[in-house]
Amino acid sequence: MPKFRKVTLLLYVVMIMFPFFYLFLLSLSAEWKFPDLTPNYFGIKNWQQIFSSQSGLGTSFITSLFISFFVALTSTSLGFYVSRYISYHPRRHTMSMLAYFPYVIAPVVFGACMIYFFLKMRLFGTLYGVILAQSFVAFPYALIFFTSFWGEKIQSYEQLVATLGGNVMQGFLKVTLPLAKGMLMICFFQTFLISWFEYGLTSIIGVGKVETLTIKVFLFIKESNFYFGALSCCLLILPPLFLIYLNKRYVFNKIL
Amino acid sequence: MKILESMLSKNSENKISLGLFFVLAILPVAAAFSYAVLYSFGVVGIANEGFTFRFWKEVLSTGEFIQSFGYSAAISAVSMVISISLALYLTIIFHKDFENKILSFIAYLPLSLPGVVAAFFGVQVLSKSGFFSRLSYKIGWTEDLSGFPDLINDQYAIGIIITFVSVVAPFFLLLFLNIYENEKVDELHKLANSLGADRRQSIWKVEIPILLHKSKKLISLYLIFLMGAYEIPLILGREAPQMLSVLIVRDLKQYDLTKISEGYVIAVIYSIVIGMITYFIFSRQKQVYA
Amino acid sequence: MRRIFFILLTMIIFGCKDQKATNPTTDLLTLEWSEILTRANGSEVTFMMWQGSPDLNKYINEYIKPHLKEKHGITLNIVGGQGPEIVQLLMGEKQANVSDGQVDMVWINGETFFQLKAIDGLWGPFLDKIPNSKLIDLSNKFISTDFQQPIGGMEVPWSITQFALVHDSIETPTPPSTLPELAAYVKQNQGYFTISNDFSGMTLLKSFLAELSGSPHGLDGTFDEIKYSDLSEKLWAWINQHKKYFWKNGETFPSENTKLNQMYANGEIKISYGFGEGGIDDKINQGLIPKSTKVYPWKNGTIKNSNYLGIVSNSGNKAGAMVAINYFLSPDAQFRKADVSGVNANTVLSYDLLTADDKVKFDQIPKRLYGPSIEELKGHAIQEPDPRYMIKLYEDFRKYVIEK
Repeated sequence: MPKFRKVTLLLYVVMIMFPFFYLFLLSLSAEWKFPDLTPNYFGIKNWQQIFSSQSGLGTSFITSLFISFFVALTSTSLGFYVSRYISYHPRRHTMSMLAYFPYVIAPVVFGACMIYFFLKMRLFGTLYGVILAQSFVAFPYALIFFTSFWGEKIQSYEQLVATLGGNVMQGFLKVTLPLAKGMLMICFFQTFLISWFEYGLTSIIGVGKVETLTIKVFLFIKESNFYFGALSCCLLILPPLFLIYLNKRYVFNKIL
Repeated sequence: MKILESMLSKNSENKISLGLFFVLAILPVAAAFSYAVLYSFGVVGIANEGFTFRFWKEVLSTGEFIQSFGYSAAISAVSMVISISLALYLTIIFHKDFENKILSFIAYLPLSLPGVVAAFFGVQVLSKSGFFSRLSYKIGWTEDLSGFPDLINDQYAIGIIITFVSVVAPFFLLLFLNIYENEKVDELHKLANSLGADRRQSIWKVEIPILLHKSKKLISLYLIFLMGAYEIPLILGREAPQMLSVLIVRDLKQYDLTKISEGYVIAVIYSIVIGMITYFIFSRQKQVYA
Repeated sequence: MRRIFFILLTMIIFGCKDQKATNPTTDLLTLEWSEILTRANGSEVTFMMWQGSPDLNKYINEYIKPHLKEKHGITLNIVGGQGPEIVQLLMGEKQANVSDGQVDMVWINGETFFQLKAIDGLWGPFLDKIPNSKLIDLSNKFISTDFQQPIGGMEVPWSITQFALVHDSIETPTPPSTLPELAAYVKQNQGYFTISNDFSGMTLLKSFLAELSGSPHGLDGTFDEIKYSDLSEKLWAWINQHKKYFWKNGETFPSENTKLNQMYANGEIKISYGFGEGGIDDKINQGLIPKSTKVYPWKNGTIKNSNYLGIVSNSGNKAGAMVAINYFLSPDAQFRKADVSGVNANTVLSYDLLTADDKVKFDQIPKRLYGPSIEELKGHAIQEPDPRYMIKLYEDFRKYVIEK
């Protein structure tokens, strides 16, 4: 049994790590065709080209960071605030069900139907339009996420604070917020990822003017050159990897 | 300070929260849905001429939409079954090993791979000229390119399913591991043993039911997500049948301007079905998570 | 609370109805060119173009953008999009009554030109206002007509190109150039040919249709429904009869021509095709395809067409767009675009109308190392047919071949 376990686990690890290594390898290659198992060229010329030419990968990276950061910040904070109201509401069951709708509809279809309104609001094809559009998907997620936080336990803490003479502000800052810290971080991380990985909705509302990293990745993938595609994928994976490293212990504290 | 305080107090909080809830969560969906409905009946749309049932008739009479629906549902179901089985297996057999710091970190890595990257990677390794094909050629299993089986852009959606599984299974593995720990399934397992159950019984009648029951909502959600997936089927799918989101977007972007409304018809039907399924998931829930 | 919500919703629904576009344009066409230059100076122009060619993107980003900024003070922004995307954007903006649109100039031809005209999406005619347009040979039918439609000054030619087929001269020494030859070829080389479901594939189908009509001029003239249904029936019959010998047994087709290029580079297919007279030089230079790759024409002819630049009707910076287009058309920019190691696109400027200095420059453009020049393929060039053929081909290819 132990040997079997070792083999299976090893297989598992290999399967997980393989994509990362392969993509990294591909990004450093050129002239790698069937049936070669190793590339004919191996070096950093692709990476150099990306950062020196005006391909815009650097700007896209920063644009994506900016957008995702904002979406995560607003969705998490507003979601936290509004979910409190919903969770204590007598109609909370209906309301949280309603909150699911924007979350379950495919963002790309949602985006296609929203074009008219974004045009009217003059947000179509703008950075803030994309932030808003992505928030429409991330905010419901945050709402749903936090409903599991607000419950009897927290309510009784709030009441305890009131009984002991503290005002609402003190209760919030000194009791509720610290209790929620872990969840706030997870939610920030999750909504950041939702925005970071978003393609369909962004390509429709941003109409190609707002070039996030995923849009760029898609562009490179569509062009015949897949070495650059692999390179863009590597860039796309870096922040999530970094965030996971930071947040690992926070990611799965509460179940939806 | 005062403003913040009043925001947190129960009374005015009602109005602001309710307002935010409507504007950010309800209104967008309602507006998008209304627009799609109007477009599907030809009421809006530059190339349209006014209210008509024409588009609805056209879509409902051709088989393409129903086929796409069934296709998407089947792919989603198969992917979920495989993912959950894998995740359950790994959780139940290896949960102790995953307490190891390194292994546990590795288990989180797949979360950093988005659909686009997974699909691109899928093409790189599964295509006829991809990595696995080259391996099999070197080993001697296939004689040339065409000997390698069709794994992507094929009718059984093998490439799509494999990619879905590679994205979904890791998430469920982590979820199940988490539930396992939180619900102290290990203790329950020991308890079952002490009451006379053997290993098999305790797995099938105690551990699996608990893990599945606690994640029921997420499983249903993921089923819906996979059905409406866009990027992965866009890259790895074939021209026909197409998964729902790809079909809808294709219809909305087509050359024949007078037929765009058909795309909106499908979008409306898709939304209604998803809405109904969501409602169904919720109405079955008697218990609210504390 | 519910009442307010429903009132809001109703307002939105009723607000969706189409509104007449009120868009008074100051009559730029009456101004002097120098005034237009002044107006354009310091402004931003957004150009919507197909971004599928790395060389073209490099040309735009590294040559055009900086020069446009330096010479005319214009900041050029690029947005990706082609064909239906452009039309839908315009349609959406018209419906929402947007008077200052997302894009100013667009890269179009054929059916996109047709549809934009149909929705009143183009501004013009402005061709005559562009100084460099005097260097274009408008007597060339391949330039002055766009898919059988006279351009009428509503769009400005940018490049001219011919569609051709590609093969590896070592692997496939005698490639097929007629339908019967193709039939024999796919039988002997099963799985190495396919039709891409995009503008490249449809252009190939137009060559097939023309062959079935019996002459290179078979598809000329306005759209003929009867001719189309007759010829297309034969076409689908031919394809369906032979598709089992195609790539993936003809059960599926690649969705775009970049995939086709990838498959040719990988050896998955052996016959490829494309505009830019086959477009092989840059790929050979990048090491993507073998040096033995050659281009060849279809016997009954392949499509030769021009692509154009247009200004959208709701552009907020028509002056800037005109100046930018003028620059795109300048001998300098066209010369750079003809660079064999770069974009390698043919100029639309008439050699005879150039200045002596420019003539010398153009004389010195090195010949393509691998692909033919557009002159060499002249004998096999056929006109683009009416855009409705293309629109119907897209639809019917899906209906009668893909979904069968």
